[in-house]
Amino acid sequence: MLSIEDFPEYQIPGAKQVRFNPYESNGGSVVAIAGDDYAIIAADTRLSSGYSIHTRHQDKSFKLSEKTVLASTGCWCDTLSLASLIKARMQMYEHLHNKKMSTTAVAQMLSILMYNRRFFPYYVSNVLAGIDENGEGVVYSYDPIGHCERKKYSAGGTAGPLLQPVLDSQVGLKNQVGVERSPIPMERAKAIIRDTLISAAERDIYTGDGVIFNIITKDGIKQERIDLRKD
Amino acid sequence: MFLTRSEYDRGVNTFSPEGRLFQVEYAIEAIKLGSTAIGIRTPEGVVMAVEKRITSPLMEPATVEKIVEVDKHIGCATSGLMADARTLIDRARVECQTHWFVYNEKMSVESCAQAVSSLAIQFGDSADGGSAMSRPFGVAILFAGIDSGDPQLWHMDPSGTYIQYDAKAIGSGSEGAQQNLQESYTPNMTIQEAVNLSLRTLKEVMEEKLNSTNVEVMVMTPDRLFQMYTKDEMQKIIEDLQ
Repeated sequence: MLSIEDFPEYQIPGAKQVRFNPYESNGGSVVAIAGDDYAIIAADTRLSSGYSIHTRHQDKSFKLSEKTVLASTGCWCDTLSLASLIKARMQMYEHLHNKKMSTTAVAQMLSILMYNRRFFPYYVSNVLAGIDENGEGVVYSYDPIGHCERKKYSAGGTAGPLLQPVLDSQVGLKNQVGVERSPIPMERAKAIIRDTLISAAERDIYTGDGVIFNIITKDGIKQERIDLRKD
Repeated sequence: MFLTRSEYDRGVNTFSPEGRLFQVEYAIEAIKLGSTAIGIRTPEGVVMAVEKRITSPLMEPATVEKIVEVDKHIGCATSGLMADARTLIDRARVECQTHWFVYNEKMSVESCAQAVSSLAIQFGDSADGGSAMSRPFGVAILFAGIDSGDPQLWHMDPSGTYIQYDAKAIGSGSEGAQQNLQESYTPNMTIQEAVNLSLRTLKEVMEEKLNSTNVEVMVMTPDRLFQMYTKDEMQKIIEDLQ
């Protein structure tokens, strides 16, 4: 980035510049896959800063309702702040409208909450997964300023660019001819998520230590854990 | 000083010793000068019928608009001061669109009534320095809508109270009309029966003779949503009614 040091003729003699960078990347990766009647969202459990690890046991998922889970990585303080704002807004919605917020409604509201901070954004990579009003599994992915897309699978976080092409191939079956495109069974989805995150831990230093899965079905949300490499 | 109660009916922010707000009660009285409006809920949908007072043959009847669309799935019938009604309807429309924008879903009829009622009680001194309304609205509103496939009818009066009804009449002929609805309403009516009941009821309480220009009818069904009857359709139904 260009700074005043690059333009010596414009510098004021004796003037001292102080900068503050409010953002920090604490790393982490999220993968979500939705099936016909379920959604699985998983995130690794490492929280780091540069070459240091803050903790190896950070759950990065937020249970927003019995049908909706948000997993969020990026600047961890922004993540916490955004998650509590969503929870507060969901509580207000419930009181005002006498009903639980649907996954689609949460998805749209999250988009708007993020865009409201267009010029000082939450530095987060969000993936929202859940069951919609028709009982179908859904995944919503976001960019940091709130663009929202409804999908069947998505990867986000520091290893997001590494994982997304794997999902495109294994779940989306992109650019493949003669393959059978059938609904993906839950065990297969779980296995793909496990494999992709193991691979991510191999190459991305911000991803590792463990994975927490959130399996969302009409009967509720179940958590499962596996270990990842810890170096 | 000599009239014991008149001192308490001047301000909208003073209760009388008996605990009443006279200005609000007067506003409710003002509705009884308005034209009659009727709403009937059936399992198939909601019907609304209103009387339009055509006070002069030179008047353009189409410009008297007593039933309006708030959103595709919510309609309103008003009685009372039409200018006040405009303000409330405007709020209802904004709230419906805002709800859709923020939550990507249709606003429920109850939430819409709630939003309008919170505007309706903002009379008196304003707390936050903004401009307050000096008096309560002189309007009663019927909200007809579809809430997750379920037809609903709500009524709101100038005090901001909103209640769900199966059938409700407001306006000058409301007492007689409500009585009539109570006698003839059945929970399993068809839409057509509800249209006929609303028009027969209107016919009884209206001073003018019922015709295709001095009534408006709206039907709200889960699949067709807000539908106003055209003049031709009205003509036909009124002929069948005889």
